[in-house]
Amino acid sequence: MQSTVAETFNNEWLWLGNLGHIFTVIAFISVVLSTYFYWRNANQGASTDLKWGRSLFQIHSLAIVGIFVVLFSIIFFHRYEFHYAWKHSSNTLPIHFMISCFWEGQEGSFLLWLFWNAVIGLILQRVSKDWESSVLAVVGFAQIALSSMLIGFHIGDFKIGSSPFDLLREQRPDFLNIPILADYGVGNYLKVFKDGNGLNPLLQNYWMVIHPPTLFLGFATAIVPFAYSIAALWRKNERGWLTPALIWSLICVGILGLGIIMGGYWAYESLSFGGYWAWDPVENASLMPWLIMAAAAHMVLISRSTGRHLFTSHFLIQLAFWLVLYATFLTRSGILGDASVHSFTDLGLSGQLLLFLLAFIAISLIVTCEGKIRTVFIYTSLGLLVLPILLAYVLPDNMQSGFADVVKFIGIAAFFVYLILYLYILYYRTKGDFPDEQLNSREFWMFLGSMFLILSLVQVFAATSIPVFNKLFGFKTAVPGAESYNKIQLWLAMPIMLLMAVAHWFKFRETDSQVLWKSLRKISVIGIVTGVLGIWIFEISGFGFILFLILAILLITSNTLYIAERKGLEWKKWGGNLAHLGFGILLLGVLISSVNKKILSSSEQGIDIAPELDANGKVDEKGIKFNRSNQILYKKKPHNLIDYQATYLSEISGKGVDSINKYFTVAFVENNKQGLTTDSFVVHPKTQNNPKMGLLAEPSTKHFIHKDIFTHVNYESSMDKKEPFSNFKTDTVSFFKPFRTSSGKIVLTVDSIQRNIGSNGLEIKLVVKVKSLQDSGWLYPEFLISGDMSSFESKEAASDKLGVVCSISNLKILDPDPAKQNIQFIISTGEKTPVWDYIVLQVIEFPWINLVWLGTIIMVLGFVLSILNRIKQSKNIQLT
Amino acid sequence: MKPLHIFLLIIAAIGIGSVISMYGSTTQYVSFQEAIEIQKDNPGKKVHIFCKLDKAKPIEYDPQSNAEKLVFYAVDSLEMERKVVFNGTMPPQFKQIEKLVLEGHMTSDSVFFAEKVLTKCPSKYEESPNAEHPANIPIK
Repeated sequence: MQSTVAETFNNEWLWLGNLGHIFTVIAFISVVLSTYFYWRNANQGASTDLKWGRSLFQIHSLAIVGIFVVLFSIIFFHRYEFHYAWKHSSNTLPIHFMISCFWEGQEGSFLLWLFWNAVIGLILQRVSKDWESSVLAVVGFAQIALSSMLIGFHIGDFKIGSSPFDLLREQRPDFLNIPILADYGVGNYLKVFKDGNGLNPLLQNYWMVIHPPTLFLGFATAIVPFAYSIAALWRKNERGWLTPALIWSLICVGILGLGIIMGGYWAYESLSFGGYWAWDPVENASLMPWLIMAAAAHMVLISRSTGRHLFTSHFLIQLAFWLVLYATFLTRSGILGDASVHSFTDLGLSGQLLLFLLAFIAISLIVTCEGKIRTVFIYTSLGLLVLPILLAYVLPDNMQSGFADVVKFIGIAAFFVYLILYLYILYYRTKGDFPDEQLNSREFWMFLGSMFLILSLVQVFAATSIPVFNKLFGFKTAVPGAESYNKIQLWLAMPIMLLMAVAHWFKFRETDSQVLWKSLRKISVIGIVTGVLGIWIFEISGFGFILFLILAILLITSNTLYIAERKGLEWKKWGGNLAHLGFGILLLGVLISSVNKKILSSSEQGIDIAPELDANGKVDEKGIKFNRSNQILYKKKPHNLIDYQATYLSEISGKGVDSINKYFTVAFVENNKQGLTTDSFVVHPKTQNNPKMGLLAEPSTKHFIHKDIFTHVNYESSMDKKEPFSNFKTDTVSFFKPFRTSSGKIVLTVDSIQRNIGSNGLEIKLVVKVKSLQDSGWLYPEFLISGDMSSFESKEAASDKLGVVCSISNLKILDPDPAKQNIQFIISTGEKTPVWDYIVLQVIEFPWINLVWLGTIIMVLGFVLSILNRIKQSKNIQLT
Repeated sequence: MKPLHIFLLIIAAIGIGSVISMYGSTTQYVSFQEAIEIQKDNPGKKVHIFCKLDKAKPIEYDPQSNAEKLVFYAVDSLEMERKVVFNGTMPPQFKQIEKLVLEGHMTSDSVFFAEKVLTKCPSKYEESPNAEHPANIPIK
C-alpha cells in the first residue's frame, strides 16, 4: 500500500468540526462543574454555589444547542469531510429527513437525549423550588455520562465516547487509497467524495421523523422522578418528593407510551413483517421501563394519598430509570447482535454504557446506605472495578483467562449482594408504622395491580436478557419468538385489566361496603352482558381469548360508567379513567386484530414441499407447517383470494430521485354470493430496488373503519433471471403470409410497414402480428438503411410475455412502387417459454385495528388531563 | 398472615412459574451435527443454527411453481454443509447475504427444514458503501 498521507487537504471546513468539538468540551466541562456546585449546595447550602450551578447548567444547555446546530450544518451543507455526514446523509436528502440523520447514528441519538435532558433541566430550575440543587445534581450527573459519550477522546486503544465530528479521512483512511484519487491528488479527495452514503431508506418516513424524538423524550423524563427519589433519600426521607414524582412519572408513562405505539404504527405502515408489535428486543427494551414506570406512578399515588408503600414507590421509580439505562445498554452496545431484526452499530462504547448503568445503580445504593455501610460499599465497589484492570497488568498471560472468569463471578455475586443490601436498607429506611391494609381500600387493589405489572416485566426481562445471559455464562439459548411472549402476557394482562376495571370504585383507606357492592354488581352485570355481546360482534373464540375480551370490555364499560356517574361533565377530572379506558380499547384492538387476523392470500394452490425434505421419501410431518400466505398474481389476470378478487393491473416507476421506486396497482373487488360487486378499491404497494439494500418493499394498506387490508409485494418477476431466447430460425416472408417459429407454436404475420426518411437515412418499421397458443400481440422490429445505402442497422423486437423475438436481417424490394407492397423480408425469429409479469403478494386483513390507535389517542388524552389536574392540585397545596 | 402477603406469594409463584415455563420452551443455537442428534432424540424439536450461505451451490427459487419454497445450501461454523428447504418467499437480497440464522429442524440427516430464516447482510446497511461510490472501486 502506498503512503497516502498528504500534506494538506483542500476545501475542508475543518473550522466547523473544531467548533463542534469546542461545544462538546464546553458542554462536558460546564456540566461537571454545575453538578459539583449543585452537589455542594445541596450538602452545605451556600447560595453562591446555587448561582454557579444554575449558570453553568445554562451554559451547558447552550453548548448542547451549539453542537446540534453544528451537526445540522454539516449535514445541511453536505460537508462529507465529516464521517457522520458521509455515513448518514446524501445530496438528495430532503430537509425534513435531515433531522432523521440525527437518530440513524448513535452519536446523534445521545445528542438528542442530552438535548431533552437539558430542556428538562431548565424546566426543573424553574419549578423544583428548594429541591433544585439536589435534583439537578442528579440530572447533571446523567449529562456528564451522556456528554462523555460524544467526547471522542482516545488514549491508545482506550477510547471515551465517539465524536460526531470525526473526519471521514480519519475514520476511513482506506478511502484515500482508492486509485481514482491519483488523478485528482489525495489532497483533493473531496472532489471525489461529492455525495454521502445516504440515509437508510427505512428511516425516510414521516413517522421516523417524529417517533424517535418522542421515544427519547419519554426516556429522558424518566430521570426526573428518579432524581426526586434520590433527593428525598439524600435529604433524609422527605415526603415532598411524591407530588413532583407523580407528575413526572405520569408525563414519562404518557410520552413513552405514545412513542412506543408510534414506533408500532410506523412498523405497521412501512415495514414488511405485517404487524405493529413483534416482541423484538428493541421494542421490549422500551416497553420494560414503561411497565415499571406505570406501576411506579400508581405506587407514588398511593404513597402520596396514604403514606404507605414508600419502599415500593422509591424502588420502582429507581428501577424504571435503571431499566431506561439497561435499554440503552441493550440496544446500543451490540450485545443483541443476531437476536434482533434491527441493525445496530457498535461504536465500542459497550464498556462505557455498562459503566453508565452501574454508576446510576451505585448512586441509588450510595444515597440509600448511610454511615459505615456506605463507606464499605464505595470502597469495595471501586476495588471491584479496579481489580480486573490492575491484575490484567500484573498477572502472567497464561493465567489471564481463568482469572477473568473468577473476576466475572465475583462481580456478579457482589452485584446481587449489593442489590439485596440496598433493598433491605431501603425497606428499613422507608417503612412506617401502619395498621393492616383494608381489603376494601383502593390502595390494596392498586398495589396488587402494580405487582402484576412487575410480573409482566419479569417475563419480558427474562426473555429479552437472554443474549446478556448467553454472554455472561456462555449459554447458547435462542431468543424466544413472539408466541412465547403472547402465551404468557395474555394471562398476565387479565388480572391487570380486572383490577383496572374495579379499583376505581374503591376509596382510599376504606370504602362503604354497601355502596361498593352495589357499584360492583352493576358494573359486572353491564360488563359481562356487553362482553358476551362483544364475543358475538367480534367473533372471538377460544377460552383464553374470550376471557381476555370480556375483561377488556369490562374495563372499558366500568371506566365509562365511572366517568358518567362520579365525574359527570367535570371533564378536567376524567384523566385517570380516560387513560384506563383508552388502555382497555387498545388491548381490545390488540386482541381482535391479532386473534382474528386473516391471511387473505393463503391458498392451497402451493405445491407441497414435503417431498423435497427427504431424499429417501420418508417425511416427518410433525412440526411442519406451511404458511402459504402469498399468492402469485399474473398481470391483468384476476385471482380469487379469500373474500376478494385481486388483479395486478400495472406498475409505474417514480421519476428522478424516486426512480428506484416501483409502484404497483392492484385492484380488489369484493363480490357477494349473488355475484354482485359490493366493494372495490385499489392499493399501491411499492418496491424499491435500493442500490445498497437490495429489494425493499413497502406495504400498502387500505383502511376501513372496522378493518385494514394490508398488502405487500414479496417478489416480482423483474427479479427473475432473464432466460435468453433460443431456437433461432430465418424465414423469407412477404406481406400477410404467416410463418412460424422453429417449434411451430407461434405464428407471425407481417401486417404493415411504416417508412420514414430521416437525417440518418430510411427507417423502416414493421408491424408484426404474433399469435401463440394462449396469447396474441404485436411486435415492431426496425430496420435502418443509411442515406448512401452503404450500411444497415437492425433493431430487434422482443416480448417476454409472448416468448418470441424477431429481427429483420435484410429486405428485398421487388417492386419500387411502394403502393404495390411487393417486398420480401428476411426475418430471424427466436423463442423461449413465455414469461408473464407477476408479483408475489401477501394480503392480510386486520379486523378492528383502528381500536389500537383510537385507544392510544384516548389514553394519551387521559394522561394529559391527569397531568394537568395533578399540576393544578400541587399548586393548590402550595397556596394553602 | 395478612391477605396482602398471601396475594404476594401467589404473584411470586405465578412469576416463577411463567419464567420457568418460558425458559423450558426456549431453543438452543446448535450446529448441524447437533441438530441431527436432537432430531433423533426429539423429532420436530426446533433449533437455531448460525450459518453461512454457500454461494457456489445453486439457490432454487421458482415462484411460478411455488412462491414459498426456497432451497439452498448452508455451512455452519464447524464447516458442515446441509441442504436447507425454507418454507417462505425469498428474503430480499438473499444472494448477497452472508450470515443466516435458521430456525427449524432436520427432516433427515441431509436436509434441514427452516420455518424461519433470519438474514444478516454484511454488517447490514451501515457499512456497505454505495455501489457506484468511488470508494467502492477495488484497491489495487
